[in-house]
Amino acid sequence: MLKIDNLHVRVAGKEILKGLSLSVNAGEVHAIMGPNGAGKSTLGNILAGREGYEVTQGTVEFEGRNLLELEPEQRAAEGVFLAFQYPVEIPGVNNTYFLKAALNAQRKYRGEPELDSMQFLKSVREKLRVLHISDELLHRAVNAGFSGGEKKRNEIFQMALLEPRLAVLDETDSGLDIDAMKLVADGVNAMRDPKRAFVVITHYQRLLDYIVPDFVHVMVDGRIVESGDKVLALKLEEHGYAWVAGRHEPNQIRAGAA
Amino acid sequence: MEAAVLDELLGGSAREREESWRYSKNAIRALTQQTFTLATPDAALSAATLERIDLPFTRGRRIVIVNGAYSERYSDTGKLGSGVRVERTSAQHLNVSIAAATDGPLHLAYVSVPADTASRWQAVGEIQLHGARARLIEQHVGEAGADVFGTLTTKMSLAPQTVLNAVLFSDLPDSVSLLRKSLCTVGAAANYEVTHAHGGGRLQRIESQIDLAETNAHCHCRGVFALRGREHVDIHLDVQHNARDTRSEVFWRGVADQRARGVFHGAITVAVGADGADAQLSNKNLLLSPHAEIDTQPVLEIYADEVKASHGATVGQLDERVMFYLRSRGITAPAARNMLIAAFCREVFDGVADAGLREYLDARLMERLPAAVEDVA
Repeated sequence: MLKIDNLHVRVAGKEILKGLSLSVNAGEVHAIMGPNGAGKSTLGNILAGREGYEVTQGTVEFEGRNLLELEPEQRAAEGVFLAFQYPVEIPGVNNTYFLKAALNAQRKYRGEPELDSMQFLKSVREKLRVLHISDELLHRAVNAGFSGGEKKRNEIFQMALLEPRLAVLDETDSGLDIDAMKLVADGVNAMRDPKRAFVVITHYQRLLDYIVPDFVHVMVDGRIVESGDKVLALKLEEHGYAWVAGRHEPNQIRAGAA
Repeated sequence: MEAAVLDELLGGSAREREESWRYSKNAIRALTQQTFTLATPDAALSAATLERIDLPFTRGRRIVIVNGAYSERYSDTGKLGSGVRVERTSAQHLNVSIAAATDGPLHLAYVSVPADTASRWQAVGEIQLHGARARLIEQHVGEAGADVFGTLTTKMSLAPQTVLNAVLFSDLPDSVSLLRKSLCTVGAAANYEVTHAHGGGRLQRIESQIDLAETNAHCHCRGVFALRGREHVDIHLDVQHNARDTRSEVFWRGVADQRARGVFHGAITVAVGADGADAQLSNKNLLLSPHAEIDTQPVLEIYADEVKASHGATVGQLDERVMFYLRSRGITAPAARNMLIAAFCREVFDGVADAGLREYLDARLMERLPAAVEDVA
C-alpha cells in the first residue's frame, strides 16, 4: 500500500529525514516511536502534502502511485488521512458543513455520487455512536474552543467518517488523559480492517497498550534504526531511547520495515 | 465638475479634505475631472433590476428612488400602515417619519440608471424615529452603462428609548460611483444597530457620523466590504460620544482581491463630560492578492476621564495552516479559500434581525467571493 524508499527531506534548509524507508501493507498497524526531533511529525506532514517540505532524494508510493506529485486534497481523496498533532481551530466554519464538504469533495474526485443531507447525517450519527461523541460537536465551529481531548476525538471522528485507506496518527495521544486515550484507541480499533492500514506516531508506549501494533519502528535522527514487533515498544519503555541510539551508530544502519 | 458642486459634495476645508481623502485621492480626482449631466429621474428599470429590489420580506413597504428621485411607479407602499409617513419636500428630498412599528422592515431602494453619457444625481433623505422599534433596509444597486455618480445625504434621528435596526448594503456595477454621507443622532437610551455590506462600484465612499447625543445612547455598527477587480470602497466612520454612559461597538471586516482597494477609517471621539462612555472598535481585514490594498486607520480621541475604550485593527492573509487542514480533508484549494473568506465575513451578519435578510446578504456575499464558488455542501 505505502512504500517509502530512502526518503530525504529538508525543512527550511535543514535535513530532517535522512534516508527513511518503510513499507506498509493493507491491514497492518505500524507504530513509529522515537525521541523528540527524530522527524516523526515530518513524516506525517510529508505524507499529507504540507508545503515547505523539500524532498531531495527518495520516493513515496501509495497504491502504486507517486504520492509526492499529488496535491493534499488529491491525497485525501486517494485515501490518505492525517490526524493532526495540533488540529487547527476554524472559527465561523460549522463542523457539519465542513465534514460534508470534505466527504463530498472526496466522493466527487473518485467519481462517486455525492451524499445528500439525509444520507450524510445518517452516516454521521452512526460514527458518533461508535465513538461515544455527543452530536453537540456537530453544531460547533471546527475545533473552535474545543479542549485538547475534544480536538483529538474530532480528528478520529473525521477519520471514521472519511474512511481512509491509510490513516497516519501524529501523536494523537499527546495531551490526553487515560480515559480520552482509551476512547481514541477504541475509535481506531473499531476501524481496523484488512483493507486499511495505520501508521501510529507516538512518543510513549502507553497508547500501544490499547492500539496493539503489528510492527514497531524506532526512528532516530531522520531514519528508522530498528524494527520489531510490540515487544520492541516495551523494551523501549524500559530502557529509553538512549538504549537504541547506543546500539546503532548513525550512518551504519539502513533499517526498513519488517 | 464645477468647483462649487465639488465643494458641496466633499465638504471641509482644502486641508481637511486632503487628509480625509488621502487613500482615495486618485479615485476622486478622476471623478471630479469628468463631465456629468444631470441624470434622468424617471428612468425605466430593467427586469433584472426589478427582481433585485424585490425582496419578499419587504413587499408593500418598499420605497424606490431612481437616480435620486422618488419613483411613484416602482414604489410599493401598500402595507406601510399609519405609523409611517413618507413626504417629499422636493423631487430629491424624502422625509420618512416612523411613529409606530411596522410588520416588517421598511425598504429604501436606491437605483442608479445610466444615461447616454456620464450623469449624476443628488438626493437627501431624512428619517425620524419617534417612539418605536423599527427595521430599515437601505439598498444601493445600479445598471451597467455610462458612468453614474450618485450622492446621498441622509439625516437620521432616534428619539429617546427607540431602537432602529438598519441594514445598509450596496452591490453596484463598476460604472457607478456613490458618495453617501449620513448623520445619525441617537437620543437617550435609544439604540442604533446597523449592519453594512458593501461591494462593487467604481468608487464608494460611505461616511457615517453617529452622534450619541444623550445619556445611555448606544450604537452597534457592524460592516463588511468584499472587493475584487478594481473596486474601491472607502469607509469613514465617526462615532461621537457626546453624553454620559454612552456605548458604541464597531465591528468591521474587509476582504480585497485582485486590484481592489479598501479603506477603513474608524474614529471614536469621547467628548468632555461624556464620562462612563464605553467604546470598542475592531477592524480585521484579509488581503487575497499582492496587488490588492487595504488601509485601516482607527482613531481614538478621548477628552473625558472615566472611559472604557479599546480598538484593534489588523490586515492579514489566509492562514496557511488552516488552508492545509481543509485541503488535507479533501477540500480543493479554491473551495477551502472561499469557505474561510465566507466564515471571516459572516460574523458581521449576526447583527441582522431577520433570518430571511441574513440569508439574502449571505448569498449576495457568496456571489461576490473571488474564485468561482464550487458547490461544496
